[in-house]
Amino acid sequence: MSFLDYDFMQRALIAAVLTGLAAPAVGTYLVQRRLALMGDGLGHVALTGVAVGLLTGWAPVWTSVAVAVLGALAIDVVRAKGRASADVALAMLFYGGIAGGVLITGLAGSTAATLNTYLFGSITTVSADDLWVVAVLAVVVIALAVGLAPQLFAVCQDEEFARVSGLPVRLYSMLIAVMAAVTVTVAMRTVGLLLVSALMVVPVATSQQLTRSFRTTFGLALALGVVPSVAGVVFSYYVDVAPGASIVVASLVGFVLAWPVGSLLRRRRAAAVNGEDPRVTGAHVPAEQHPHQHDPACGHPAVEHGDHTDYLHDGHLHAAHGRHYDEH
Amino acid sequence: MRAAVVDVRGLRVDLDDRPVLHGVDLKVVEGEVVTLLGANGSGKSTLVRTTVGLVPAAAGEVRLFGTPLKSFRDWWRIGYVPQRTTAAAGVPATVREVVAAGRLARRSLFRPARKADREAVDHAIELVGLADQAGRSVANLSGGQQQRVLIARAAASEPDLLVLDEPNAGVDHRSQEAFARALRTFVASGRTVLLVLHDMGPLAPLVDRGVVLDSGRVVHDGPLPTPSMTLTGPPDHHDDHREDYGAGLFG
Repeated sequence: MSFLDYDFMQRALIAAVLTGLAAPAVGTYLVQRRLALMGDGLGHVALTGVAVGLLTGWAPVWTSVAVAVLGALAIDVVRAKGRASADVALAMLFYGGIAGGVLITGLAGSTAATLNTYLFGSITTVSADDLWVVAVLAVVVIALAVGLAPQLFAVCQDEEFARVSGLPVRLYSMLIAVMAAVTVTVAMRTVGLLLVSALMVVPVATSQQLTRSFRTTFGLALALGVVPSVAGVVFSYYVDVAPGASIVVASLVGFVLAWPVGSLLRRRRAAAVNGEDPRVTGAHVPAEQHPHQHDPACGHPAVEHGDHTDYLHDGHLHAAHGRHYDEH
Repeated sequence: MRAAVVDVRGLRVDLDDRPVLHGVDLKVVEGEVVTLLGANGSGKSTLVRTTVGLVPAAAGEVRLFGTPLKSFRDWWRIGYVPQRTTAAAGVPATVREVVAAGRLARRSLFRPARKADREAVDHAIELVGLADQAGRSVANLSGGQQQRVLIARAAASEPDLLVLDEPNAGVDHRSQEAFARALRTFVASGRTVLLVLHDMGPLAPLVDRGVVLDSGRVVHDGPLPTPSMTLTGPPDHHDDHREDYGAGLFG
């Protein structure tokens, strides 16, 4: 019998696909803004929301959305004020979230095992109702991340420039925070609140090893979010571990595999940049092996450079120096 | 008489409760190239940042194209180049993607870029001489090239006023010249430029008027001061911007 024959596995896999798309979609903007750890903090805060649900008997999905969104708005306000003590304020909010969550869960009479299913995910606990909420929220988050991409890109790339472009930067900033909060709740059942941030950040970090444009980084990150999410859930079916752990480990394996490729690409690009540096630094950089002499007839475009003539060769400039050529 | 593009009157600005500008007046009319000069901490950067609405004024008035800053909405008319050492952020982005962000002031929500938008972006990239680099990641460009990307981004909305905050800081000579060429093209079409400079470099022949600030007050406003006047004293230090290449996450 295949795992696909079980209703709970079907639901868990659908939730995994949606989470695998939504988390890196928001995560790309968070990483671009250098707020990679924001998802982590929101996961902590959402735990208090889950506990409120356990205590009151309301659906934890809704209470955690509500509390995480409030937390996200609080974080955004503190960030916008830009005070020196902002990081301390945020740290206290995060610790408060975890401590409040554990405390209220205890008051509600729930066990640590219940709490664990929210912290690290659990493939058997995605109810049909949960799945509907998760699906609607995930689709909204993904649609906003794609539909508002030009605006969100501008705000995350350079906030001040975006403001002088007339964009409502505060509004977009809050929107990103709220999208992150909603994603935390979407991801709660599969990857769990403590590890959700990994699924926002690791696929993006892996993706940018291989890419040079925002668009491809974004697209590849979504693919790199879905694959480990699905693989992790399937792994948890066969081996009884929390899916959060297997998803994040699978995601990290992807990063470790991409890293050598990325460093090779970077070395190549760095070499291309270094070919240009001598113009700035005036350093003496002899060109690599040279099969012919540059002259007006060699076919390489000649470029006047101060008191001498350079020849454009494969994207860099060669200048005659004694019996070899320098990179200019 | 030509219309005032920037009109600042009696501007007072406090940063962290410390007064930075005390009653500054600044007027830039259509087609003029005006440069703000002064030592570090003289308030020249604060003045342009307040002019484009990034820093609140404690007192006084700022008008852009005759409209008070509070009710100004035609942001596409302003091309702003913030003081930056890198055009890169935490995720890779190509030259074209960064420059296209400058076109947003002209675009509406949820609509794809039109042909005119794409052409304006191409044109802005050509203006700064980076056409052959358009598909490269900005993080892999030299500091000077990244600065030119920021200038192209400001030009992409086809603005009537360019506001540049130290566009030459830590920029190699070749990029300074490319920038001077771009500025010459821009000014030739009758548009206006307000820029903050640390030293004039190859831009000197382009500038109509210099405004020198000292400790938050205007101490000179008129034809360019002689080189000895451009700073209120000998330079106290030089910023080293060579290490400022933006590296993405993990390098």
